[in-house]
Amino acid sequence: MKFSVNWLRRYLSTDLNVYEISNKLTAIGLEVEHIEDPSVIFKNFKLVRIKDAQKHPKADRLKVCVVEDAEGNESRIVCGAENARVGLKTILAMPEAIIPASGEILRKSIIREIVSEGMMCSPEELSLVGQKGGIIELEPNIDLSTSVAEVLGYDSETLDVSVTPNRGDCFSVKGIARDLAAAGAGKFLISEDIVCASSFEFPLNIHYENSVLCCKYAPHVAFRIIRGVRNGESPKWLKSTIRAAGFNSISMLVDLSNFWMVDSGRPTHVYDLGKIKGAVSLRFAKSKEVFEDIKGNRHQLLPDMLVAADEESPLCLMGVMGGKRTACDENTTDILVESGLFDQISVSKTGTMLNISSESRVRFERGIDKNSCVSGLEGITELILKNCGGEASAICIVGKQPDSYKEVTLEKDKLNSISGSSIDWNASKLLLEKLGLKETKSDKSRATFSIPSWRSDLSIEEDLVEEVLRLKGYDSIVPQCIDIVPTGKDEIIERKNQIVGMKRLLASRGLSEIITYSFIKQNYSEVFEEDRSLIHLLNPISTDLGVMRSSLLPALLLSAKKFLDYGSTDVSIFEVGNVFYGSCEQELQMTGIRIGNIHSRNWLEKSRVADIFDVKGDLFSILNYCNMDDRNIITLNKAPSYYHPSRSGAILFGHNEIGYFGELHPKINKLFDFSEKIVCFEVLLQKLLWSQARKSYINGKIFPKIHRDFAFLFASKTSIGNAVNAIYELDPLITEVSIFDCFESSIIQKSIGISVTLEAVDRTLTEDEAQVVSKKVIKYMESIGGELRKK
Amino acid sequence: MTELEKLQASCFLEIGGCDNLKKLDALKNSIFGKGGKIVELMKELRNLNNEQKRKLGSEINLLKSGILGKLNSKFHELEMKELEQKLLSEFVDVALPPRPEHCGKIHPLTKVEEEVVDILSSYGFVFADGPDIEGEHLNFTALNMPNHHPARTMHDTFYVHRPADDNGRKLLRTHTSPVQIRAMLAHKPPLRVFSIGRVYRSDYDATHTPMFSQIEGLIVEKNVGFSHLKWILADFLKKFFEVKDLKMRFRPSFFPFTEPSAEVDINYKVEGGKIIFGEGEEWLEICGCGIVHPVVLGHGKVDAGRYQGLAFGFGLERLASLKYGIPDLRGYFEADERWIDTFGFSHAIR
Repeated sequence: MKFSVNWLRRYLSTDLNVYEISNKLTAIGLEVEHIEDPSVIFKNFKLVRIKDAQKHPKADRLKVCVVEDAEGNESRIVCGAENARVGLKTILAMPEAIIPASGEILRKSIIREIVSEGMMCSPEELSLVGQKGGIIELEPNIDLSTSVAEVLGYDSETLDVSVTPNRGDCFSVKGIARDLAAAGAGKFLISEDIVCASSFEFPLNIHYENSVLCCKYAPHVAFRIIRGVRNGESPKWLKSTIRAAGFNSISMLVDLSNFWMVDSGRPTHVYDLGKIKGAVSLRFAKSKEVFEDIKGNRHQLLPDMLVAADEESPLCLMGVMGGKRTACDENTTDILVESGLFDQISVSKTGTMLNISSESRVRFERGIDKNSCVSGLEGITELILKNCGGEASAICIVGKQPDSYKEVTLEKDKLNSISGSSIDWNASKLLLEKLGLKETKSDKSRATFSIPSWRSDLSIEEDLVEEVLRLKGYDSIVPQCIDIVPTGKDEIIERKNQIVGMKRLLASRGLSEIITYSFIKQNYSEVFEEDRSLIHLLNPISTDLGVMRSSLLPALLLSAKKFLDYGSTDVSIFEVGNVFYGSCEQELQMTGIRIGNIHSRNWLEKSRVADIFDVKGDLFSILNYCNMDDRNIITLNKAPSYYHPSRSGAILFGHNEIGYFGELHPKINKLFDFSEKIVCFEVLLQKLLWSQARKSYINGKIFPKIHRDFAFLFASKTSIGNAVNAIYELDPLITEVSIFDCFESSIIQKSIGISVTLEAVDRTLTEDEAQVVSKKVIKYMESIGGELRKK
Repeated sequence: MTELEKLQASCFLEIGGCDNLKKLDALKNSIFGKGGKIVELMKELRNLNNEQKRKLGSEINLLKSGILGKLNSKFHELEMKELEQKLLSEFVDVALPPRPEHCGKIHPLTKVEEEVVDILSSYGFVFADGPDIEGEHLNFTALNMPNHHPARTMHDTFYVHRPADDNGRKLLRTHTSPVQIRAMLAHKPPLRVFSIGRVYRSDYDATHTPMFSQIEGLIVEKNVGFSHLKWILADFLKKFFEVKDLKMRFRPSFFPFTEPSAEVDINYKVEGGKIIFGEGEEWLEICGCGIVHPVVLGHGKVDAGRYQGLAFGFGLERLASLKYGIPDLRGYFEADERWIDTFGFSHAIR
């Protein structure tokens, strides 16, 4: 909502300057987004008269002019305009001026060896329309001391106010003035309701086509005909006033309608009566009916859109936009003026469906004064009669004014409890009355108010509290400390902190955290789908973000691809986030990928490409972080199908799958266009068990450990990784088992080196005891196909 | 000079002239070993009477310990010399770079979320969670956004291809506020909860991403009002931005789920290209808040006559950007290596 300060002053008597007004507006909830101050914009511009103009000695097309301002100061200007002639009054931009059209700062310059101390401006350079070519030509009798802003029609500073959707009443200068006055920023200058004399009966037939339905969508519409108007160019005051509000001047009738809308908040529509054929009906559009709006855009209408139509076609999309067919032009003499009340939702839907935004739509959507059809019609009539002449008919009313009377009661206690402080009761009632509310009954602890027709947003007690606090100023409420109650253990936060701990752990292992969108392209997601059905968006922003991710992998791969494209050779990244599938299941996962070398090339070690045991290490670091007992973890060769079938594994804790790791299947490399080997791990975070348990500490003497190393031969494709867990189970004396060696000893056999540590808490073990355990280990290994290697 | 004195002098001379351990060893042998000088001397004792024996014997012993002492200190000296020689030969170019250690970075949203959780927990807020895929009822209706509310259109909100249920059509939540209703339905007041999570809106340009993160706080208690809201936000922001003083501006605003509603601005200035909060006269919008609308309390089955609610919401990315000077919103979700390197945090920083 844009308007000039001078316009505001028609309704508000105040001593405040524009900046004080702006601060007040922001403080009462009408946030000022921008102040346009013409004295700042045109700071380095002035009016001048050309005193002398000579041909440039070094350039045929240039002139060297001497110009003179109101005080007789002279400047020398080099100018190329043909119309630069002695006696012409024009606008001079001085050095440091910011040229409105380009935003550039003007500097003194030397043009073909002659210093030019400024620039005489063309209309284009000042973002003006109209005169074409050359520099601006002002009227010969203009006073050179007039400000440039005034000459160009800037009557004062302009405020751009952001109006919240509940405040339809503040889409008018009058409404803003009323609010400011209530907040103590001045006196509201109430305008008297006008009644224009009618010279003749309303001659046109206007009716609802279907009164039941139409009544709902357009309950009250007032019309009037004005004959004998002259629709010419608008006077200067009107042009500059509506320019400040962001409207281009079209013609006097259109400009007046726009002026009245911003002034009072009441949209009206003016039809050229001569172009209307026969009776006018208010009806719903017919299926596939075409409407050409005032700007010349054609729309195909739908049957729930309300139009005013003559016998030929729709003339106006009610409340949204007028039609081209009955638009006023310079030949218009007789007009039909409409001032109606249209349903908020219907206007909004029509505007959205047809993608039409208009100042009228904005006001109907937010809610206009329900009692303003007739008074609004009188107001625009007066303006038209005064500026365009003519004579007005009697008013024709279709439908009837809805009963919008309502009362709201405010309790003193409520006011205090919502504010959390003690508020002056009488002062509060006064504030509400300044907004136009009227006290209808009251006692010590409560007061009932009637709500004015323009404040349909006020319907409950809390609304009145807000009005009081807002006008008093939120800043006047003194902050009060809340009681801090200690909370018990918050498991969700504990869990969140643990996940942050895991992220830090992975970062310490060289992986960087990324966060990606929850939606992704379908064909990237479906290869990771497994048996989970993907959730599609009905209205994605683009097909690249068309389905909810059921895996974190595709986005990690796309990111890795980007890293590689930037020239990186090694990538290690992870994400923790939700995946979605089935009937809106949501599951938290942690996924990481590694591509390329574990370390950058260095002089100490040969570089090594990340393999599945690196990512298995990442995965196990997480399990260890959770204190999950290694002995209950087993690795099976049955990862999902997007993994390399024999270089991947599923990690089970007891019977639960808690994660996967491995090399990705070549089909994934192909889909994502990778030539590099990619290894990754996935942790199903919701299935992890968090154990706070520590091993029990035995206080006492420590007895020596015994170490035994064994070497076994196995068939090369035997999986022996899980044997470690089984060996632990063989004897309680076994405290550590590790595989220290594994190599292919021949094409069909591999050699496995196993180290077993024995320890008792209460004695030094004897050689015999160790021998017994050794035999158990050998027997077990033989039972799974191993053969003890002789030294 | 006696014989013994001569012997001692000649031994000392020889020991002193020794320049390696091997020679010294041989020398020791030639003095104390079989057929050595001392052994020869001892042989003379046989021909002496007891008194002479005792005298010479003790003289010889004195000589022996003198020579041994000299030998030992020479041994030590040569050992040190040889060790030094050996160590000098073990040269390493210490100016070479160390063994590489590659660490990753933590995403700034993780860091900022952690900071926010710490501060809010300290006021006694507990975490409340809700799903990203919500129903229309909790996302809109229960929050006093009626059927025709413009935010409900396909133009603004992502809907998903799943059948509607009691909670209405399925959509990607447009704010974390549905968690308010979930929390009120799950727990009787008094209640102090907060939530942090991803939210989705159909918007994509330089200042909007279709996904972003919100922080939501809710207090439902008996004696809390706008004055308490002002205190808690002021305290939170001072702690978060780590400033002693912060000017705040509460501007009346409009949200369907609060009445009265406010937007909060904080003061700042720009110095050397950096934003400094708590100083200067410029204002920056940071948060939306208000007193929970009675309709919303009603949907949460809270008796609006007995309890009052305070609610506030922040954008997590905005907090992160302001505190750590991160410019483009899109960077948060578009995983650019340099971005992570620049704005990510070391795992060791808490």
